Amino acid sequence: MMIRRLHTCLWAILWLTTLSGCLRGPVAWQRVTLNQPLTAQDVSFVVNGKTSLSEIVEKLGAPNQMLSSNGGVVARYQFTDGKYFRVDFGWGLRFLIPIYSPDLVLGNGGTGIDTFQVTYNDHWVVQDHGFALHSQASEYRLWPTKD
Amino acid sequence: MHSISSDNGEVPATKHRGSALTTWLVLMILLGCGCAFVRGNHGEDINQDDVSTIKKGVSSRADVASILGAPDRIITEPNGHDIFHYYHYDLKSGYILFFSRTNIKSDDIFVIFNSAGIVEDVIAGKKKPPLEFQFWPFD
Repeated sequence: MMIRRLHTCLWAILWLTTLSGCLRGPVAWQRVTLNQPLTAQDVSFVVNGKTSLSEIVEKLGAPNQMLSSNGGVVARYQFTDGKYFRVDFGWGLRFLIPIYSPDLVLGNGGTGIDTFQVTYNDHWVVQDHGFALHSQASEYRLWPTKD
Repeated sequence: MHSISSDNGEVPATKHRGSALTTWLVLMILLGCGCAFVRGNHGEDINQDDVSTIKKGVSSRADVASILGAPDRIITEPNGHDIFHYYHYDLKSGYILFFSRTNIKSDDIFVIFNSAGIVEDVIAGKKKPPLEFQFWPFD
């Protein structure tokens, strides 16, 4: 009888926990990306002093940013990549201390941005262009106190 | 062999221990899991038909503002050009077990005005394909 009650209790807890939805687990890998990356091959058609704004927009779409500068208008295509990893070492304590389960979390992550930048002259022709590749700066890391 | 009694009779202790372990294992996995699919956006979706009504060399700042609304940003250039920037962000996020992936895309439109305030160019690329719901963060 006791065993049956215990089983009923366990199944009730099991059922309730399935209803808990998005309860955070002991570990988590999370990634956030904004837009799609561009490769050198994607922009190989761009020639300084020849390619126009409309040609670039036709092939790459509208940029994400346009900035004013003394050298002309700067258009930027950006891909942002963010990675984050965390471990909650206190997660298992909920099985030992049902009322109080403290978070003991170590987490670390980073964000990196790949940028393709084009500068246009007054006639909207490419003056110069280039990549800044920093998306590799984002990593899943555990130890938050590492320099 | 040690055994414990239940209303169904005698159950071997090792079997009982195994089933308890399985139950706790399932419990732990379920406590750690959960799933979520979330969608969000920022700004109003830009209607491509509205964009096509803007005429180069004809439409004024006021015309553009009445068609697309107030811009999200205004960029002023030293050579007298003004650029209206309109943007719309779309977000899809998936979360299963311990893995989560959030994809965001932006749709941007730039309208360039000459120093007289008349549209010189409209920069609107092809609309980007819709985002996918993903949860795997390693690809």
